[in-house]
Amino acid sequence: MSAILSADDLNDFISPGVACIKPVETLPLQKPEEPHNPYEVTTEDKLPAQDHAPAQISLTDCLACSGCVTSAEAVLVSLQSHSEVLNTLDQHLSMSIQHGNLSEELGNSVNEGKIFVASVSPQVRASIAATYGISELKAGWMIDHLLGGPLGLASGGTHGSGFTWIVDTNAMREACLILGADEVATSMSSPSLNAPSESTSAPKKPVLTSACPGWICYAEKTHPHVLPHLSRLKSPQALTGTLLKTVLSQQLDIRPDQIWHLAVMPCFDKKLEASREELTDIYWRPSSSREPTPPVRDVDCVITARELLMLADTRGISFPSLPQVPISTPSFPDPLLDTFLFPQRESQPSPHKRRRRNQEPAAGPSGGYLHHVLQTQLANSPGGKLHTIRGRNADVVEYIITRPLSHPNPSPHLSHAEQRLRDSSNNIEDEIREDGEEQVTIFRAARYYGFRNIQNLVRKLKPPRTRRLPGAATTTKQASKNNNRSSIATKTPNATAAGNINDYSYIEVMACPGGCTNGGGQIKVDDVGLGARQLKGTDRGNEGMSQKQWLEMVDEAYYSMSSSDTEIDDDDEGDLNMRDDGDEGEGDRKGNEMVNGIDVRNVRNVLRHWSESTGIEMGQLCFTTFREVRSDVGKGAEGEKDRVVELAGRIGGGW
Amino acid sequence: MAAISFIAGLNPPASSRAWCSTPHPTLPILATATGTSLRIYSLNSLTLLSTITGGHKRSIRSCAWKPGNSDTATIATGSFDASVGIWSQDEDDNEEWKFAIVLDGHESEVKSVAWSTGGNLLATCSRDKSVWIWEEVGEDDYETVAVLQEHEGDVKCVKWHPEEELLASASYDDDIRLWREDIDDWGCIAVLRGHQSTVWAIDWEPLSGRDETVGSRLVSCSDDVTIRIWKKSPGQEERQAQSRLSIIKSSSAEEWTEEAQLPKTHVRTIYSVAWSKDTHRIVSVGGDGKIVVYAEDKEASKQWQVVAVHECGHQEFEINHVAWTRAKIVGGSVQEVVVTTGDDGEVKLWAVS
Repeated sequence: MSAILSADDLNDFISPGVACIKPVETLPLQKPEEPHNPYEVTTEDKLPAQDHAPAQISLTDCLACSGCVTSAEAVLVSLQSHSEVLNTLDQHLSMSIQHGNLSEELGNSVNEGKIFVASVSPQVRASIAATYGISELKAGWMIDHLLGGPLGLASGGTHGSGFTWIVDTNAMREACLILGADEVATSMSSPSLNAPSESTSAPKKPVLTSACPGWICYAEKTHPHVLPHLSRLKSPQALTGTLLKTVLSQQLDIRPDQIWHLAVMPCFDKKLEASREELTDIYWRPSSSREPTPPVRDVDCVITARELLMLADTRGISFPSLPQVPISTPSFPDPLLDTFLFPQRESQPSPHKRRRRNQEPAAGPSGGYLHHVLQTQLANSPGGKLHTIRGRNADVVEYIITRPLSHPNPSPHLSHAEQRLRDSSNNIEDEIREDGEEQVTIFRAARYYGFRNIQNLVRKLKPPRTRRLPGAATTTKQASKNNNRSSIATKTPNATAAGNINDYSYIEVMACPGGCTNGGGQIKVDDVGLGARQLKGTDRGNEGMSQKQWLEMVDEAYYSMSSSDTEIDDDDEGDLNMRDDGDEGEGDRKGNEMVNGIDVRNVRNVLRHWSESTGIEMGQLCFTTFREVRSDVGKGAEGEKDRVVELAGRIGGGW
Repeated sequence: MAAISFIAGLNPPASSRAWCSTPHPTLPILATATGTSLRIYSLNSLTLLSTITGGHKRSIRSCAWKPGNSDTATIATGSFDASVGIWSQDEDDNEEWKFAIVLDGHESEVKSVAWSTGGNLLATCSRDKSVWIWEEVGEDDYETVAVLQEHEGDVKCVKWHPEEELLASASYDDDIRLWREDIDDWGCIAVLRGHQSTVWAIDWEPLSGRDETVGSRLVSCSDDVTIRIWKKSPGQEERQAQSRLSIIKSSSAEEWTEEAQLPKTHVRTIYSVAWSKDTHRIVSVGGDGKIVVYAEDKEASKQWQVVAVHECGHQEFEINHVAWTRAKIVGGSVQEVVVTTGDDGEVKLWAVS
C-alpha cells in the first residue's frame, strides 16, 4: 500500500516502494480510435501499445523522495566513473596548447576536440601517499603523470588524449578561506542578526560551512531551517571549476562545453555536487550569449581516489611505476593565474617559486575553514587568546576567543556582539582567567563532524517551539480534564557546553567523522596491503591495521611537508619551505599580509583580476545558492490526495 | 503438561489493533500502544487509569518505561510518524502526563524503543535500517550519541543487555547485531546469523538465578518459525580480534553462536518472545494466535521443552506482543502472569501453572 493511500495504521509489511513524487499528472492524449463501435468489446492483447512521453525527473525531485533515493543517487553517481573518463578521452582529441594558444594544426577539428583539465584534492594525494608509502608531494607528481604525463593516459586510448593542466584545489581553497572569513565578519556586524534573510543576502549567525555536499544534500532535504545559516560560498571544487571554465573559454576563445573538467575527490557526494544545477555556466554566462545552449557543468566529472587507481588499472598502466618527478605543462593562458595555480613551476623566478604550504593539524583535514576564521579573528584582536574545548566526542570541538577585559577594543563593530556574549554569562568565562585578569569572550565557534553530531547541531538550531508538542491531551477514566499544556523547560534546550548555539559565529560542519581524509572514496585499509606490495622496497606492514590507525597515517601524509622535498630546487635560496613560526598575524615579507600562512593580499588580487579579466562579477563567480527540497509524498491537502487517487484509477490503478 | 489459563482482559479494551504492552519495571502499571494513543492500565484493578493522546500523528508501535527510582514515571514511545516521544507523569497529578520532548531524526517508521538498565541511554530503531542511541544530557534534553547504519533492512527490535551497555538489534535482513561503545564510538561487535527470515523480536536472559559463569543469553524469534538461543563464545575477553566492521574504530569483535532451537510449535510467523525473570521460562506468540511456554531442561541444559500451549489466544486474530509481569489476581495474591496483546485490541492476562 502506498503512503498516500494509507495515512494511518501501516502494517509491518514493507511496501513495494513509496510512490514516486512525480505521478503521471498529464496523461498523454490517446489517439482516437476510428469507427468507435460502442458494442465492440476488445481484449487486453488487442489494445494498442501506448506511447508515453518519457518521464522527466530532476535530481532535486529524486532526492526529495526518500523512498528510492538510494537507488536514484546510486544511478546518478555511477554515471560519473572512471569508465566515463576513459570514454570521454577516447571520443575527443585533446587540444594541444602552444605558447598559450591553441595549436594551429587542429584548426579543422577544433569542434571535436576538447581541452582536458583536472583538479586534485589534497586528501586524495594523502590517501595515495599513505598507500604507497611516499610523500604527499611525490604522490601528487605521480597523479600528474597519470593524468597528464606522456607515460599516463596519453600513452594510450584512441587519440592519445590526456589532461593538459592538473590543478591543486588548495589554490582556490585559499580564496574560499579568505572569503569565508569575510562572510563571518559581515554576519557579525549585521544590524539585524535575527532577521530572516533572503536567499541572496549574507548568511545568518551562526554561519555554517557549505563545502561538504553530503551535509548540504541532507540539510536541503531534511532540515531546511538551517539553510539561512549556510555560507553562500562555493566549495574549492566548484570554484576551481568556475575558474577553469571562465578563464579558459575566454582566453582560448572556445565554448565552455569544449573544456572537460575532471575532479579527483575523496568522496562520492562530490559527484552529486558536480550535478547541481546551481553550479553550471548559466549562472555566469554573459547574458548576451549568441544562442541558448543547455547548461554546462563547471565540473564535468568527479572520480574518487580509488577510482583513480582503477583508471590506471583499466588502461594497463602500473601506477606505482609512474615517475616521481614533476611533469611539465604548458603555461596557463593568464600569467597571473599561472603563477597562482602553479607556484612550483620550474620556469618561475626563484623568489616567487614556493610550494603552497600544507595545513597544520589544528586546521583539520577538511580545508581548514574554521581554523582560518579563528586565525583571522586573532589577527584582528590583539591580546586575544584561543581556547579549545572538546565536546562529547572527538568530532565535536568548541573554540572560544577571549581577550582581557581591560584591553581596549580596537574594532568598534565587535562591541555589539561582545555585549550580547557578556550578557549570556556562564561558567566558562569564570574558569578562563589569564594572569588573574578577567577575560571576556569575543568569539565563539565550533566544529561538528559526523552524522550523529550533525543531528545535535540541527536540533539546537531549530526554533524551540517546534521541538515540543504542547497540547498533548490526557484523559482519565473519571473525567476528561483540560488539555495539559507541557511546560517549557526552564533550562534552554539548545544549550551547548559553552552557551547558546545562536551565540556562535561559525561552525564547520562535515558529514564524515574524522573529516575528508576519511571520505567514502578514499583508499581503505583493506585495499592497502596490495598497494604496499606493489611498490618495491616499502613494506609498511599493514597486516592487521585497523581503519582508525590507517586514518592516522593518511592524516600524517596530509599534514606533512617533509624537508626532503627540496630536490627540485637545490640552488634555491631556501624560500621553498615556509616555516610555521613567524606567520601568525605578522607580515612575513614586507608589505604582504599573511594570515594562517596565506598571502591574503595576493589572493584578493588574484580574485579581482579574475573578475576583471572575464568581466563577470565576483558574486556570480564565487557564490551560490541552496534550496529546500520538498517532498509531496503523504502531505498536502485532502483534495490533492483524492486527485492523485483518481488519476491512479484512471490509468488502470495500482502503484 | 501444564496449562495456560485465561485470567482476565484489561478493561476496557481498545477497538482497533494494539501493538505492544509494556509493564513498568516496579510499579503495577502497564502501557499499551493502540493507534495514536497510549493506554495506562493498572495491574491491580486491571482497569484503565488514563489515556495519553495527541502527541503522535500516526500509530504508536512500541513503548518502553524508563528504569530508575524517580517519583514520576517516564515512558518513551516510538511511532510510525518517525518520531520518538518521551512522556513524564505530572509531579502534582500522577494521572496526568506531559509530553516532554519529541526526538526527530529517523527517516521512516520507528519500530522499537528500549532504555538501557541504567536509564540514561535510549535506543530506537526504524524501517530506515538504522539504530539510534540517545543520551539524556539534561532535564528533558537528549542528544544523539550514535547512528548505526549497518543493517540491510528494516530494524524490528532493539533490546539492552540487563547488565552491560550492550545493545542487540533484530532486523528484516535476517540478522541480529550486537553493539558496544569503544571510547567515543559505538560499533557492531558481532553479527548473529542463522535465521532464514526476518527476526521479529529478541530478549535477553534475566540476570537473577542463573549460571553466573555464562553470560546472559539472547533469545530470538523469526518469520522462519523458529526460536533460537544465542550465547557468547567463552574466552573472548582475552582475544583482541581486529574488526573491520566499523569505519573508524578498532573494536574487539565477539563471537556469538547459536546454542539451541526451541521445539517447533508455532506454524506461522512468531512476532514476540519474552524470557521470565521469575521462572526463566520463555513464552512466544505469533501470527497463528498460539501462546507457547517453554522451559529449559534442568538436567540437560540447552535442551528446551514445551511446557504449555494455548491455541487462539485472541480468537482468530494475530498476537503481536507478549511479556511477563506480575499482577494481582483473584484471591489477592500477586503472581507472575503472561500478558498478550493482539490485533483485536485486547490485552489479556494468563496464568501458567
